[in-house]
Amino acid sequence: MEQPDARNLLETARALLLDSLLPALPAERRLEARMVASAMAIAARAIGAAPARPDAALAAAIRAGALDDDLSLAGQLRLVARARLAISNPRALPAAGS
Amino acid sequence: MNALETWLSIAAAAPVRVLSQTRLSGGAIQQNIALEVTRDGAPEAWVLRTDNAATLAVSHGRVEEFALLQAAHEAGVAVAEPLFCCADVSVTGAPFFVMRRVAGSAAGHAITRAAAARGGDPELAADHGRQLARIHRMRAPACLGAPPADSLAGFIAAMRARLDAAGTPRPPLEYGLRMMERRGATPLPPVVCHNDFRTGNTMQHDRRITAVLDWEFAGWGDPHEDLGWFTARCWRFGQVALEAGGIGPMDAFLAGYGAESGWQPDPARVRFWQLGATIRWAVIAADQAARHLSGREPSLELALTGHMVPELEWDVLDQAEALHGAA
Repeated sequence: MEQPDARNLLETARALLLDSLLPALPAERRLEARMVASAMAIAARAIGAAPARPDAALAAAIRAGALDDDLSLAGQLRLVARARLAISNPRALPAAGS
Repeated sequence: MNALETWLSIAAAAPVRVLSQTRLSGGAIQQNIALEVTRDGAPEAWVLRTDNAATLAVSHGRVEEFALLQAAHEAGVAVAEPLFCCADVSVTGAPFFVMRRVAGSAAGHAITRAAAARGGDPELAADHGRQLARIHRMRAPACLGAPPADSLAGFIAAMRARLDAAGTPRPPLEYGLRMMERRGATPLPPVVCHNDFRTGNTMQHDRRITAVLDWEFAGWGDPHEDLGWFTARCWRFGQVALEAGGIGPMDAFLAGYGAESGWQPDPARVRFWQLGATIRWAVIAADQAARHLSGREPSLELALTGHMVPELEWDVLDQAEALHGAA
């Protein structure tokens, strides 16, 4: 594929939108422009991420109470949740190690 | 006279002329239209509330919402005075009701920013507690059906059913629900709950609540369910240190509730239902994204709401682990 790649294109377009177009918009349309910028940022972070594999068996086992005494469960859930958060909203990520 | 003016004139038993109609900011489900009218020649300011094209099956329709508004008005809750209700779709194309217009703003971020700039607003937090206490002694309109024997069991079953219907397995939400199931306390007698009582749904003027909005999710529940929804982290509009809706401290909010209701809520039970609130908001947010993904209602706003789910799942894990440790 020709360079710049998808991530670079999204980031460059987003910077143009926020730095140049947004200030020129009437106040009541700025929220929409910010939403477009958010969508572009999420899409850029998602490039190259492993596709999500929703775990139906795990969900069913938790619901049935089969993992009530599994001390490693919360840690496992954290691992997946952290990876999802890193794409959707990295600002909400807690500091490393917590 | 158009069809709307004719209908309003019959309902008001006086000639009504509509001078202007202005679309107000609506929700994802409803539309609000400001009406400047004359009733028997005298000017009045009303709001007409009706449905958008796509509506959530789990919410009440306009006719039921009108009945809830009447019950709230009778109970002394701050609401726009309900005036007329029309179930006949031939008038405007959808059921609607009309209420008196109320002064104020419900813009969540502006309200919490202003409260934070004052270092928190205990008075406004207490006012929210008072309003909620009045809601919890409302008579139940017929649309609420019979009260459940165990509202926690009902909540857990409803959330699981929605997760199953959505079809995407969500282990963190299952973990939270299972923790609620394991740690749930003895059921309290259910009361009428608003079920969306939060910053952004209370209209305010001069730091007092002028109207509690958006009654379409009301139903039976544990009173702590509403207290948990209002104080959950996800409804603090960026001011997370102000536990009561991003507006003020928890103790002022609960004291306002207690002074009006005559009984003091249990803070541990409020925290328990903050977890329920976070799970429910995650389920709703995922459903909103599904509306976009279905192709029936393409919307960037709905699409981005789906990307709030991972943050809510993280919050659910935090709270579920705290609940686990507290046992």
